[in-house]
Amino acid sequence: MRLLRGEMEAATVYGDDPLEVGRRWLAEGAEYLHVVDLDGAVSGTRVNHDIIARLCGELSLPIEVGGGIRTVERAVELIEQGADRIIFGTVALTEPEIVREACRRLPGRVAVGIDARDGKVAIKGWTETSHADATEFARQCEDAGACRIIYTDISRDGTQEGVNLEYTSALARSIGIPVTASGGVGSLRDIENLRRREDAGIDAVIVGRALYTGAVRLGEAIAAAA
Amino acid sequence: MSIAIIDYGMGNLRSVQKGLERVGFEAVVTRDPRSIEAAAGVVLPGVGAFGACMQNLSTYNLIDTVHRVVRSGKPFLGICLGMQLLFEESEEFGPVRGLGILPGKVVRFIDRPELKVPHMGWNAVHKRANPPHLEGVDDGAAVYFVHSYYVVPSDPSLTATTTVHGVEFTSSIYRGNVFASQFHPEKSQSVGLRLLENFGRVVTGRSDARAAGAASC
Repeated sequence: MRLLRGEMEAATVYGDDPLEVGRRWLAEGAEYLHVVDLDGAVSGTRVNHDIIARLCGELSLPIEVGGGIRTVERAVELIEQGADRIIFGTVALTEPEIVREACRRLPGRVAVGIDARDGKVAIKGWTETSHADATEFARQCEDAGACRIIYTDISRDGTQEGVNLEYTSALARSIGIPVTASGGVGSLRDIENLRRREDAGIDAVIVGRALYTGAVRLGEAIAAAA
Repeated sequence: MSIAIIDYGMGNLRSVQKGLERVGFEAVVTRDPRSIEAAAGVVLPGVGAFGACMQNLSTYNLIDTVHRVVRSGKPFLGICLGMQLLFEESEEFGPVRGLGILPGKVVRFIDRPELKVPHMGWNAVHKRANPPHLEGVDDGAAVYFVHSYYVVPSDPSLTATTTVHGVEFTSSIYRGNVFASQFHPEKSQSVGLRLLENFGRVVTGRSDARAAGAASC
């Protein structure tokens, strides 16, 4: 009997008018919504907190939120507002005890987003590149109790040139928790390629720009991933 | 004719309220026993630990209210912990006594390397009964789950749908005026909204060609 769900889930990234955009993806069949607070990620401000709360409360699908989550309190607040899962970024590298504590208080709800440039972890909204190796960092996050790694290859993000299959698969193979691939999906072919790496532990993919440009249609992406 | 969503401090209720409103039904979030008992239909949501939920229901003096509402025969919808609480007891930090409205208990998924606990994500429901709530919901439709414990009804006829996660477990129950799901209809996209809409129709007693066809599907 097959025990792992292992189904690919296509999530989407929100753009300018969050609630309207969220409703559009919901209507097109999104299985998850991936919400990034860019202002929060860069400067840690609360400016987007209300709209995020509204998204979590109003849209009838699971939502994961990342960007500028730097305290356990903020993580708890988001889950209480209805977020399905929160994503730690910078703080997972600079203050791992916060991730550990959040995992303890919110089991199954804490993911870590690893954004990498040439295999090195980038932080603070991608404004800085650290010396930390992404795969090693992923292992540490798993040890801290994270339930998932969301791996974005920055050099591919927004390019629609295809995901970094090799590195993402290698990273996924070296840990036991599942990986969401992100960054560079430009066509259904990319999703099909990722689907073939499911056994490595990649069970979800985030599609961003390609959905907004129309290069990929969400309904077709979901079908390609099934 | 409005639906009361019981607020006992456990879980985000806005999604449920918004879901019902989206499909055209008025829903009020309340912890006032009189409002709950006066409503045309009642929803018992719930996330978190079984014991904490029972504790909160007790603290807010809502245990009798839930019993009375169910006994009254008015349409009742339980979601997630709101389904588990209806049973006799749970082994979560337990055994902890539940409301005892339905016979059976709540047990944990067994940790195994290949079985993820909590069961979190989209999974298929297989229809074992045809209550009006599931009308228009295809056999095998995907809905959204987040849970580590599942109900084991003593009476198999309670089971409305089953789902497989390591084991085949009861993912929703139906008896008389009570329908309850382990999954979250308010997070289950169009399938979930259809279930909420069906519940709303049961509450308002609306009938149309679709509902009339439910008995034969």
